[in-house]
Amino acid sequence: MRPKNCHYLKSHEWCMIENGVATIGISDYAVSHLSDLVFLDLPRKGSSVTVGESFGEIESVKAVSSLYSPVSGEVVDVNKDLPDNLEWLAKEPFGKAWMIKVKFTAKSPDMLDVAAYDAHCKAEG
Amino acid sequence: MRRSAAQAGQLRVLIDVPADAAWNMAVDEALLSVGRGAALRLYGWSPHAVSLGYFQRFADFADLPAETPIVRRLTGGGAIHHGDEVTFALTCDPALLPRIDASYRALHDAAVRALQSVGVADAHVVGGAPASPRPEARWCFAEPGGGDVVTPRGKLLGSAQRRIASPRPRILHHGSIVLKRPSLTPFVAAVADTRADEDAAAELRDALVREFTHALRLAPRASRLTDEERALATALSAGRYRDASFLRRR
Repeated sequence: MRPKNCHYLKSHEWCMIENGVATIGISDYAVSHLSDLVFLDLPRKGSSVTVGESFGEIESVKAVSSLYSPVSGEVVDVNKDLPDNLEWLAKEPFGKAWMIKVKFTAKSPDMLDVAAYDAHCKAEG
Repeated sequence: MRRSAAQAGQLRVLIDVPADAAWNMAVDEALLSVGRGAALRLYGWSPHAVSLGYFQRFADFADLPAETPIVRRLTGGGAIHHGDEVTFALTCDPALLPRIDASYRALHDAAVRALQSVGVADAHVVGGAPASPRPEARWCFAEPGGGDVVTPRGKLLGSAQRRIASPRPRILHHGSIVLKRPSLTPFVAAVADTRADEDAAAELRDALVREFTHALRLAPRASRLTDEERALATALSAGRYRDASFLRRR
């Protein structure tokens, strides 16, 4: 069950907004398709991210994939422990495996609610 | 932007002369970023060079001979010493190869059919789980695992992939098929183990085009870089791929 209080991008990032801060990660669907994860690069605290642009990269055994930001703003926190504990992504993609927190100034107009995202994943197969 | 009717159902085929490492990686990134539809680029390396996987540490290769050209790929995986080989870069929309695991199976099965058709009869795909990735193995060909294309001599095809979602969802799949064993990675298998004649490379290129178009259910169309692709490749070749900060980013 995916959280209903999150919004999702078709590129499989999720975003939970609270008090002007967006917590961002990748969905269970993304993790299952990437399979064995190897490396994760996240931005530094204090850096800027932009809607629709890459904020990091993740490598599985077979592919490097970019991570796309659903918001624009300043990175106010980074899950520094995650790159050394990539198994969290499979166990708790919407919890312990959050990636960054962004004090945002703009949101993507293309975010999906959970029902629309579920349908998108089903269509992708 | 939607693909034009003329592009739909076709595989652009670009047969390039061997080029230096920066140009090769720049062209592949251009085809990934601004290319339309599906394209299969076949090329070689002159001078021979080492490519690092996107996440590999430059410092782990400090022991390479000083004169060895080194470039960082956009794709992941381990390092490859590109000597005499047939290299391919397939770029396409992910709708053509939606799942990473299935995309490897489809392309590796096609590569095996191509290899067998030119006489490398013992080429096959290994069953079982993929090999464990770095940092244990810094060379792509060092530890064959499930899904890899091998002969009894070792790994014959190195593969790696990059997937992007912006500006459009696209895939870049790199493959290197060893013709002759490179000096830095003598543990690899090579086409020359069974086909050492001068015609082997050209026959293998033709076979790869045939088998990839068959696997992807596309029709081949001889192609060249568009003006947009060439302009971006020229900029990337002069910039990112000759930039020490990109090479040493890790």
